[in-house]
Amino acid sequence: AEGLAPSSVSNKKVILLPCRNPPSRERVQLWLEARRQYESLQNRR
Amino acid sequence: MATLTRQDLNFGQVVADVLCEFLEVAVHLILYVREVYPSGIFQKRKKYNIPVQMSCHPDLNQYIQDTLLCIKPLIEKNDAEKVVVVIVDKDHRPVERFVFEICQPPLLSISSDSLLSHVEQLLRAFILKISVCDAVLTTNPPGCSFSVLVHTRDAATRNMEKVQVMKDFPWIVADEQEVHMKEPRLVPLKSMTSDIIKMQLYVEERAQKT
Repeated sequence: AEGLAPSSVSNKKVILLPCRNPPSRERVQLWLEARRQYESLQNRR
Repeated sequence: MATLTRQDLNFGQVVADVLCEFLEVAVHLILYVREVYPSGIFQKRKKYNIPVQMSCHPDLNQYIQDTLLCIKPLIEKNDAEKVVVVIVDKDHRPVERFVFEICQPPLLSISSDSLLSHVEQLLRAFILKISVCDAVLTTNPPGCSFSVLVHTRDAATRNMEKVQVMKDFPWIVADEQEVHMKEPRLVPLKSMTSDIIKMQLYVEERAQKT
């Protein structure tokens, strides 16, 4: 993939996508488990 | 009935606001319905007067917001031909593409104040179609992720570069591998025609997902 072209080039059709990736499913799963543990600790108090 | 051009009433901005709000809801719902993320991160919210599933994961929500913030100036200038939510497998090959084909009429006919509520009704129908689309699609393989692509023109990218968030959220021209899908199955979901937006949504699904 190439970077965004300078403004002087032609007006051809292009498809763009972000360089950055969304958070992975694994990272989100870990966050969810941590949140559940936190909520369960809160409920026990 | 008054006929206005795109320059009147900051028309492009209104359309971009309406569409980006809709796309945000649609992206969350696609990720939920197609099980890209665990269902536990989604909570029921009310949008367009119907319940929808929206993520409560802060990083994911920020990612979707940043993505749409960058696309917004393109929609505002009528430079976004398609916005595509691509679901990719663990090898980053597309398995499904939710294609939002957008077209804005050059002239706007305003008949009453109910214009936006009519658009809201039409957008609600899109959301309802997305929420049941798993019935017409096959199950995705485990380990999928997603990306949002925008089909535009070279010169229009200048509008994107003006957005502040672009500095921390840069965009690149997509590789063929990231967009191409061999002989996909086409599933039309919904189309709408209103005074301010014409839009159709279809899914391109890879024949062999595993």
